[in-house]
Amino acid sequence: MSTTAAAPARERPATNLFERLGSYAMTLPAADEALSAATGAGADLATQTDDERVARFERDALVFLDQLYGAALRMTRNPSDAEDLVQDTYVKAFASFHQFTPGTNLKAWLYRILTNSFINTYRKKQRQPQISGGDQIEDWQLARAEAHTSDGLRTAEMDALDRMPDSAVTDAMNALSPDFRLAVYLADVEGFSYKEIAEIMGTPIGTVMSRLNRGRNQLRVALADFAREHGLGRRGGDDD
Amino acid sequence: MTDRECAVALERLYEFLDHELADADADAIRAHLDACEPCLDAYGVEEHIRSLVKRCCTGTRAPDTLRVRVTQVTTMTVVVRHTPSG
Repeated sequence: MSTTAAAPARERPATNLFERLGSYAMTLPAADEALSAATGAGADLATQTDDERVARFERDALVFLDQLYGAALRMTRNPSDAEDLVQDTYVKAFASFHQFTPGTNLKAWLYRILTNSFINTYRKKQRQPQISGGDQIEDWQLARAEAHTSDGLRTAEMDALDRMPDSAVTDAMNALSPDFRLAVYLADVEGFSYKEIAEIMGTPIGTVMSRLNRGRNQLRVALADFAREHGLGRRGGDDD
Repeated sequence: MTDRECAVALERLYEFLDHELADADADAIRAHLDACEPCLDAYGVEEHIRSLVKRCCTGTRAPDTLRVRVTQVTTMTVVVRHTPSG
């Protein structure tokens, strides 16, 4: 029963909504993988009616729209691309929603689809030079211990961080390679665990930790540089 | 206080702040931070940056146009599902 759900869609003429997506919208290997790994209890859902499924999707999935858009904006760094990415995500999510088991982690599942859409379609299509090259920034890498010395930001300079404009922070985020940026976003903004981020990004936990480490190191250095360049350092008397 | 303790504390800084450490390991770090101001400083900075990132990246609202498009996803798919393909 569940396998028939998406089948007619492949044969019908493309509408405006689906034109851009083509048949890709209906092939969801990544999402299905995540599902079969996470559930194994899909049988009960076969009895669910279409109306019930739509209602459940509208109630449970649409509430993440703002969050997914925020993440998409961070990924694509462009509002119009972010809109397309989020819509693609919802189309794919709805197409395989009949397999999603209520009570499992819907938010992580949606983020997984969002991430896959970004990597598989958008990122390939774009071929922006800055999109690749997560490794070329090795020389940025400060040994963690250097934060111990005067090279890093210190608590005395915290007020500099507080006075930093939001744009400085988002610029610093945008300057990170996509993988680092997404890992930092998922951890710091969305509060996902390492395990969840690993599932969302389709990587081992060790890779997540490495991306977080390097991304956050770069972020800290960039913000410290910004603070110094813009004279946001400590004010007189802060040293006391 | 040893350099080695500091090295461990700094190496596990993110795991600590991300609540990914086992209780015993986290307690050991806490004990070290109580006694080591430079490490406490480093932890403070990282926590501060994290909250800064969160502040700057939270609260984004999806445009209304997108909201409308996304709401149509279920409507259009339902129509598709009930339309005979021939």
